[in-house]
Amino acid sequence: MSDDYVIETRALTRRYGAKLALDHLDLAIPRGRIHAIVGANGAGKSTLFRILLGFLPPTSGTARILGRDSQQLRPEDRARVGFVNEEHTLPGWMRVEQVRAMQQHQYPRWNARAYDDVIGHYHVLPQQKVSQLSRGERAGLNLALALAQTPELLVLDEPTLGLDVVAKRAFLESLMYSNAAEQCTVVYCSHQMEEIERVADNLIILERGQLKNMSAPEDFTARVALWVADIPFKGPEPHTVPGLLEVQRLDGLHHYLVLDQDERFADYLRAQGARSIRSMPVSLDRAVNGFLAKNHATPAAA
Amino acid sequence: MARTVPLMLQIATGDPRPIVRQIVDGVRMQIATGGLRAGDQLPSVRGLAQQLSINPNTVAKAYAELTTEGWLESRQGMGLYVAAPRQRLSDTERERRLDDAVGRFVNDVIPLDFAADEVESRVSHALRRLAPRRTA
Repeated sequence: MSDDYVIETRALTRRYGAKLALDHLDLAIPRGRIHAIVGANGAGKSTLFRILLGFLPPTSGTARILGRDSQQLRPEDRARVGFVNEEHTLPGWMRVEQVRAMQQHQYPRWNARAYDDVIGHYHVLPQQKVSQLSRGERAGLNLALALAQTPELLVLDEPTLGLDVVAKRAFLESLMYSNAAEQCTVVYCSHQMEEIERVADNLIILERGQLKNMSAPEDFTARVALWVADIPFKGPEPHTVPGLLEVQRLDGLHHYLVLDQDERFADYLRAQGARSIRSMPVSLDRAVNGFLAKNHATPAAA
Repeated sequence: MARTVPLMLQIATGDPRPIVRQIVDGVRMQIATGGLRAGDQLPSVRGLAQQLSINPNTVAKAYAELTTEGWLESRQGMGLYVAAPRQRLSDTERERRLDDAVGRFVNDVIPLDFAADEVESRVSHALRRLAPRRTA
């Protein structure tokens, strides 16, 4: 295993009773840039982070973070990883200044300028108690603390969940334009495609504990297309349609959202009796949601 | 010293065109319509990224593509400038691209079932609207 990957898992498996949260996951995230991880609820993202940060042992397989086995992290390894979770959990009874001083004491590579750069985006006063901060201000404080520790890897788990537009924008700008963030690899978990489109260099899709995509967001979008065909009667059985993600019958027209199909899909539709056929590209949002919806559980009798 | 010309560019998320594409198309359009002129300096990668609230790598990708295509040129240590207009493609390549574009256009338009002269007049109207500003 090499140091070129900030995160590297091999056949990583975690079982909860009869359920596989991670299913022989092979994931290698290269150093540098901003990587977004997307997956439906229960895709295994939280389990993956817990294992990577050493809070949970795998059932089998291996997980390495910054080249170290995640089950044998030393304090100096942890100092190289920043983690920001969606709840922005910080001790509510402490004052902002006290939290900062405590973190500075813990991290030898503390970067005061990075802290000031980020916290300057927010109206946070040093003497304020953490419990008095708004959710957006706590998010900003959390990011400032994480970046000031000068991490090589920054893991963000749905960091902008529940933030208003202004706080969200401030958070993303700190992440994209602060000098401290440029030095580290960012792994970013989010459901918000609008954000991912603006922020991510690389799109990782997890589904049922397996890796389904690893590419630039626009390359993933290019794999998905919408075809609309006028097929009399019922049309082909959905399970026989190649690459089908989603089918809808609207006003008598069949709308097929398909993956990895080229112009020959038109021939397929024609062979199914289609009279008129159109196709168009779709947005990242539509592509990802269609992809995730494909394997979404539905009641057996539906 | 040349100063950065503001780049009046709008991008949209949730569009089928990726953001890189939107920037490339937008800059080419502004060069074609005279919004940007030869010798104008473009915003820095970081500056445009902040203006549009996007990842700087996305801007860098778009600028690289525009530079490869010859729309922009970099001056050592000074940034990026709009290149002097010149024919950037070989005659065969121009022919090929025109055929491609016409083919795509015809494909899109045929099912709309307009009369050919109606389509032609719309196209020439659209072309004429761009032409005078290019020479202005």
